[in-house]
Amino acid sequence: MTETTSHASAIRAGGVAITGLHKSYGSNEVLKGIDLTVAPGEVVCLIGPSGSGKSTLLRCVNLLETPNQGTVAVSGFDATDPEVDLNAMRRHVGMVFQQFNLFPHLSVLENCTVAQVKVLRRAKAEAAGVARENLRRVGLDGFEDRYPDQLSGGQQQRVAIARALSMDPQLMLFDEPTSALDPETVGEVLSVMRGLAGAGMTMLVVTHEMGFAREVADRVVFMDGGVVVEEGPAEQVIGSPTQPRTQDFLRRVLNPTDVEL
Amino acid sequence: MSTVNTTGPASGPNPSPGNSPQTGRRMSNRRRRQISLGLQAGVFVLAIVILVAVMDWPTLGQSVFNFAEIGPLFPDIILVGLGNTLLYTASSFVVGLLGGTLLALMRLSSFPPYRWLATAYIELFRGLPALLVFIAFGYGVPFAFGVQWPIPLVVMVSLGMVSSAYIAETLRAGLQAVPKGQAEAARSLGMPAWRAMVTIVIPQAFRLVLPPLTNEVILLTKDSSLVYVLGLAAYEYELTKFGRDGITALDAGLTPVLVAGVMYLIITVPLSLLARKFESRTNRTRV
Repeated sequence: MTETTSHASAIRAGGVAITGLHKSYGSNEVLKGIDLTVAPGEVVCLIGPSGSGKSTLLRCVNLLETPNQGTVAVSGFDATDPEVDLNAMRRHVGMVFQQFNLFPHLSVLENCTVAQVKVLRRAKAEAAGVARENLRRVGLDGFEDRYPDQLSGGQQQRVAIARALSMDPQLMLFDEPTSALDPETVGEVLSVMRGLAGAGMTMLVVTHEMGFAREVADRVVFMDGGVVVEEGPAEQVIGSPTQPRTQDFLRRVLNPTDVEL
Repeated sequence: MSTVNTTGPASGPNPSPGNSPQTGRRMSNRRRRQISLGLQAGVFVLAIVILVAVMDWPTLGQSVFNFAEIGPLFPDIILVGLGNTLLYTASSFVVGLLGGTLLALMRLSSFPPYRWLATAYIELFRGLPALLVFIAFGYGVPFAFGVQWPIPLVVMVSLGMVSSAYIAETLRAGLQAVPKGQAEAARSLGMPAWRAMVTIVIPQAFRLVLPPLTNEVILLTKDSSLVYVLGLAAYEYELTKFGRDGITALDAGLTPVLVAGVMYLIITVPLSLLARKFESRTNRTRV
């Protein structure tokens, strides 16, 4: 207890420390002992083949999935302590989903204010002010009164980012944020994320966008089969990987037309 | 006509075009369709003609469409009858909606005894005739426990309890149809489970089940007529009771029942159109 507490408090705002994380669904072990840290202000990209456990790992950080074993400390909270106030913790951790998950019955502005009002108890006017500022930040001022089904995928994902930012998070989790987008709208979302990284936001990003990872990530973590296979600076892991599995994966992703069956 | 029949008897119930290539080629599909349509129209017109010919129109005018005699029904059949039908329907729908929401949430609860309780209730009240529930609350309860409660309350409780079982199942389907990601997004913003349910999931579920809920109101409107089996004071009469009493009180045959029927349709047909409108809207906006 004392050990984990001091471990958690060692993590300053936005930081993440994961040790010995295991997660299984029935007999299917998805995560087989993951150790991972994210320093405050750092941008870490998780890459790897589908089914490698990247998304599960990300969802364990804000406890959308409950780990079977191991510890997760996030932003000063010991997330795996049974006594922890998860709702309080999640207020500091923004999450962006592959399928956007905007609230379709609420306008763009309401999407960005509802949690501010209901969770942070901000006054409506204040919440609207914060929401407008974040919508401007993602390039969507003037879209306040639209509804999600009136927006393109890229616009929806940018609203989702503004919605998360409106809670003033210390850490942002991105779960394949561009995988469900039409190719022509991927760029606008990546550009918003690049801006966030540049502004010093702590980010943990599951992505297949190798160009983005190489350019924006401070560190890249390659996962396969539920374990971290290789990690290091983006240039090193993507540019000159040392592990055969990483090399094989990157060859397939970077040159999809060269793959032989 | 004769060209159609040439293939028929030869090849039995399922004539194949190969049996008579010449007629098959000569008669286009379009021609076939025209003949079929003409036949149907002919049968229809014939049936109408026979019906008109055999009908005893003077008696029909006397006993079914005798609008001259129904003056005494008005204005009470509207002010009292229609009013009470609307009141009974609305009050039982409120009970049904509240009860149904509670039951649906219990049905999806992670605490097993809630689920068992809700399942037992739903199976019980979906399996019983509404009439039996009316008799239980209207006659049985006053007789057994010596309590006298007003008829509007009996209707509200009986019909409300029955409809809450149906509404619960409808709502449960609606709640389960809201994508899981909605609750996850709400939770990731720091909302507790109940808040995510109330603010994010339930409003979307209600939108999805608006058409079946409207149908439920139509059913309630019609089922409120069952109150007719209980002893009613004049001010508690609803449409069916007015129709029934009109048969003996006025010498107009079926006409009072016809009038009551029209009143029901004045409520139910717009509701039905509304349900259809909701349905097309849901189909359009859902992802």
